[in-house]
Amino acid sequence: MAFTVTSEMKNGIAQLTLVGELDAAAAGDFRAAIEQSATSQPKRLVLMMNGLSYMASAGLRTLVFARQKMGPSVDIYAIGVQAPVRETLEMTGFQYSVVMLDRYDAAEIEGI
Amino acid sequence: MKPLVVPGTLESLGLIREHIRAAAAEAGLDKRRAYRLELAVDEIATNIANHGYREAGQTGDIVVHTGTDGDALTITLEDTAPPFDPRRLRRPEQIDLPLTDRPIGGLGIFLALENVDEFRYEFVDGHNRNILVMERSLA
Repeated sequence: MAFTVTSEMKNGIAQLTLVGELDAAAAGDFRAAIEQSATSQPKRLVLMMNGLSYMASAGLRTLVFARQKMGPSVDIYAIGVQAPVRETLEMTGFQYSVVMLDRYDAAEIEGI
Repeated sequence: MKPLVVPGTLESLGLIREHIRAAAAEAGLDKRRAYRLELAVDEIATNIANHGYREAGQTGDIVVHTGTDGDALTITLEDTAPPFDPRRLRRPEQIDLPLTDRPIGGLGIFLALENVDEFRYEFVDGHNRNILVMERSLA
């Protein structure tokens, strides 16, 4: 299944919706979306991942890039991560640097 | 299943994963273990395309063989890039670092080796052979 990323920006929150399979061939699109979002200097980066059925290490690399591009003060949220993708994130220690929530929690995310 | 022969480029990854999903279903792997095998194969194929062929300025195919016996599903990826044994890369220490301090990269081989029950490597007659094995009986 092809990978798509759509982005929106509101109230200082950059939200990217990831759908499909994120492999090394698709990671460039994700990275470009991160770079684009970073230009608005958001206070939070929210990744909607309910529709992301697959993620390879190229996706992890892009998360490292996002963290370093956005700076340490920008919290990164991953929402609705599917079980196998979550397992990959946990196997590689990303759960300590990315906040994973089952669903979008406006109070936590927007309480800036 | 018939072997799958694809160009050793990133554009082939989707086809390779489809092939692995079909083989895993046929072998009766559960969904979680099928995903882990798919991920491991994808990471090895990515490495072959990026580091094996592209960085060496070469082009070539990746051939995906699948075989089942009573106990295991075995996937063999064959390529003609320069010899590279993924087992040479040990578990990266970076997984204990916060993202701000991590190098970008180095996790693919780790995920490949961690997600299968057995990993073997051979270099035979000018071909790299990465062999990934999943037991069929484990859940």
